[in-house]
Amino acid sequence: MTDTLRRRFRRLAALLPLGGALFAIGPATDAQQSAIRLPDPPANGVMGFVISEAIPPVVQEPTACPQGTVLKMRDQFLADQPAEERARLSKPENEAELVRKWQATAFGPNGTNICSQPDLFSRPAMRTVQSRMAWGLDLDKPGADDTCEHAEFTSPHGESGIDNQEYRVMGCTLEWRGTDGIKGDQAVGLRQFFASGEWTQVLLLRGVDSLQHDEDVEVIYANTPDRPVIDTTGRFLPGASFTISDKPPRERNVLHGRIDNGVLTTTPADIKLAQTWGQGGARDIRGNRTRYDYRHGRLRLQFQSDGTLTGMLGGYKPVFDVIQSPGIGGVGSALVAGIDCAQYLQTLRQYADGVRDPKTGKCTAISSAVQLAAVPAFVNDIPAASAPAGGRASR
Amino acid sequence: MKRSAKLAAALALLALPAAMAFAPVGPAAGADTAAAPAPAQAGQIVAMRRLTEAQYRNSIADIFGPDIRVSGRFEPIVRPVHEMIASGARRASISPTGLENFDAMARVIAAQVFDAQHRALFAPCAPADAKTADDRCAAQVLAPLGRYLFRRPLTLDEQAFYVRMAGAAAGKAGSFDKGLELALSAMLVSPNFLYVIERAEPDPANPGQLRLDNGTRATRLAMMLWNSAPNEALLKAAAEGRLTDQKQLEAAAAAMVSSPRFEQGLRAFFADMLLFEKFDELAKDPVVYPYFNQDVAQALPEQTLRTITDHLLTRNGDYRQLFTTSHTFMTRALGPVYQVPVHRAKGWEPYEFGPRDDRAGLIGQAGFLSLYSHSGRSSPTLRGRAIREVLMCQPVPNPPGNVNFTAVQDVHNKAMPTARIRLTAHNTDPVCAGCHKITDPVGLSLERFDGIGAWRASENDAPIDAGGMMDGVKFEGGAGLGKALSESPDTPICVASRALEYAVGKPPEDEALVERLVGDFAGSGYAIRALFLKVATMPETWRVTAPVLDNATHVSFAAPATMAGRTGR
Repeated sequence: MTDTLRRRFRRLAALLPLGGALFAIGPATDAQQSAIRLPDPPANGVMGFVISEAIPPVVQEPTACPQGTVLKMRDQFLADQPAEERARLSKPENEAELVRKWQATAFGPNGTNICSQPDLFSRPAMRTVQSRMAWGLDLDKPGADDTCEHAEFTSPHGESGIDNQEYRVMGCTLEWRGTDGIKGDQAVGLRQFFASGEWTQVLLLRGVDSLQHDEDVEVIYANTPDRPVIDTTGRFLPGASFTISDKPPRERNVLHGRIDNGVLTTTPADIKLAQTWGQGGARDIRGNRTRYDYRHGRLRLQFQSDGTLTGMLGGYKPVFDVIQSPGIGGVGSALVAGIDCAQYLQTLRQYADGVRDPKTGKCTAISSAVQLAAVPAFVNDIPAASAPAGGRASR
Repeated sequence: MKRSAKLAAALALLALPAAMAFAPVGPAAGADTAAAPAPAQAGQIVAMRRLTEAQYRNSIADIFGPDIRVSGRFEPIVRPVHEMIASGARRASISPTGLENFDAMARVIAAQVFDAQHRALFAPCAPADAKTADDRCAAQVLAPLGRYLFRRPLTLDEQAFYVRMAGAAAGKAGSFDKGLELALSAMLVSPNFLYVIERAEPDPANPGQLRLDNGTRATRLAMMLWNSAPNEALLKAAAEGRLTDQKQLEAAAAAMVSSPRFEQGLRAFFADMLLFEKFDELAKDPVVYPYFNQDVAQALPEQTLRTITDHLLTRNGDYRQLFTTSHTFMTRALGPVYQVPVHRAKGWEPYEFGPRDDRAGLIGQAGFLSLYSHSGRSSPTLRGRAIREVLMCQPVPNPPGNVNFTAVQDVHNKAMPTARIRLTAHNTDPVCAGCHKITDPVGLSLERFDGIGAWRASENDAPIDAGGMMDGVKFEGGAGLGKALSESPDTPICVASRALEYAVGKPPEDEALVERLVGDFAGSGYAIRALFLKVATMPETWRVTAPVLDNATHVSFAAPATMAGRTGR
């Protein structure tokens, strides 16, 4: 890392608080993009970032869920009752009976439950997003022949052809949408997971000649066991060093992309990244490991003048992956959080639009998007893939 | 014999071949002979210096092994104003609470020494009955341990005292080993262990004057150069009277400063000289300085010490270049503060700053810069004062009690956006200006580093002027200050006088002696090994200015009835 390079990043670090809000989620419009003044890339063309935010994006607008958020199991149980019975059970003196009855719907025969064995349960359809607006990427535009029919979204910026059926299914759940202007548990929880360092993700870009236009950039999107450096509010601080690990459960994805008008886009490839779940408690599920698994995954990331990256990860997720967390949580997810895993899974399958099984003709994965933000970092690649000394740690 | 051999071997392992060169006799035989009790302690006590925490810990590790855990709170030794802790140690008492802490630590240490895992190393003899006293076996165990702990052979009275104590306790506890534990615990809270008791004897070369005796010389060499108890070779050299022979003293000291263990001693010296105890109280406002955390705080003193030992020992560098060197070491914790890449996920790695980083040696490191700042802002005054006092040994008067600090504390005042402007406003008061002109022109050159030593180009959006001046020399930024310090005659004078103070335990009063020392230091190319070798071997270091007393002052371990009669004066 040269002196000039370090100084440049110091300037970027100083500007960091100014960034982020401007283009927090989607790609910039042409007008916005032209307002972004990008610095020159490092002389060695190597840049590093640590992912500071990876959250399924939600468009907060009134037409998305006109009936309100998806009913929790207790409320769904009541809704399914005749009016007279619903009124009786809703009385405080019948609370114990109500709890007993709705919780009974979470259990199946032979010790099964609705979140550990969701396939065994048949549930009513859930509320889905009704509006045509969503964040995401257009995943199926050139020559996608293994998708299923689906209605596409338009982004808040007006970009058409957005594929994000996961949002259509999950976008009205309380966990995603939140309530009263407070973001959902999904956003809060994922921020905590990333801040804790349990599944830190980094980006290592190589061969960057220009932040405006470059036809060939190598993008390594990987996990690291290293914890991020955060401030007292959980904000990621730039300038920390990380080392990529490809040892299980961690993953290292090598992608290729190009930069057009300050936007880095990678060509579709399968992307796998580590997840570790668990919130503690008596039924501790801490340490359970799963993976982010994006088929035909791709990144679209926009360089910001403050040195950060913002943008989107898109791809097709196997439908069950969407309910990995409540699935691992088991019956507790149903009884405590009121999540109807069977209902979710059935609806996800209904809207699955990618990775069609040639035998059944049915799609097995669902289009998905993750809103990404990343701050500059020094990223060391795994030793076997490292550049000569001095070139490994870069951002 | 076996026990002594093992003990001696354990200690001998700590000494390098070079250090052993002046003690060619086998350690086992030597230790056995030397462990024999002395009739009484000869010589006049001329100083008592309390062991520092590091010296205590190092002594325990060297004598009993690094796996013996030392846990407890050490009563701090108060640093006298503008002096070293080494000088404070000469005046340090132990409070009742402090003694309780030492006693608790001693019992934990003793229990480990005689547990099943370690007993054979220190107690090779078996008592006739494991449940009762065995004076002969107890003496075999306690005499060598006492020699290492007291840094001299036990006297006959002392040995009898501890054997008797072990026997009495064995009887009550029904365990020979429990008796040993109690006796060892008692040794560990004895003033003979907790204090380095310096004794003097008549100087044959200067009739009517005193010089430090051999045992004291062995301990002083060990504490000064290795920051630990004397090893077998030193104890043996002392027992044979070789350390009052100038040539043999020089050989011993030369071997010690050439040893890798000198690094431990040098670290202790600089930790004392650079006031590292202040790191224990270092705290920053996490809102103002989000990069500062516990990992950073712990790494800061280590980075400075690594830089010092790398430059002065590994590179055998010129002391003055400690203020200009671009070489240092990094960890993952420190990388974000400096905004530099760190390759290794754990541990330290070398790092070299670039010429435009403006980080010059010790004063460009986050350790110095954060230590001499406030919790939420930098301080050119504190930095300038520290440079004057700590690095140049130029005391700066304290501010008067009624100073109005409003102007300098209002760091968000857009009308006075930089520290330079704020200090200029503050210094319109002539009462303040007198001292600030000594400190501020020096410290303002470091203003491109904030209160934790992170780089910044501006403050409150105003560009920072890092111009500085010291003793009439103008310069720019940290690099300019580093160069000025490296060219100042006061920095080598300061470290030389501190080295002398560190060795003797009091600030030097003989200016001519310091001048000669600095001259030799310069002749060596300002090599730190040469400086410490000179300090350790110059005859003046070993001379005693205390008056010769009529009778030796000592406290006997004999029974109370006879104590009064045997206590001199």
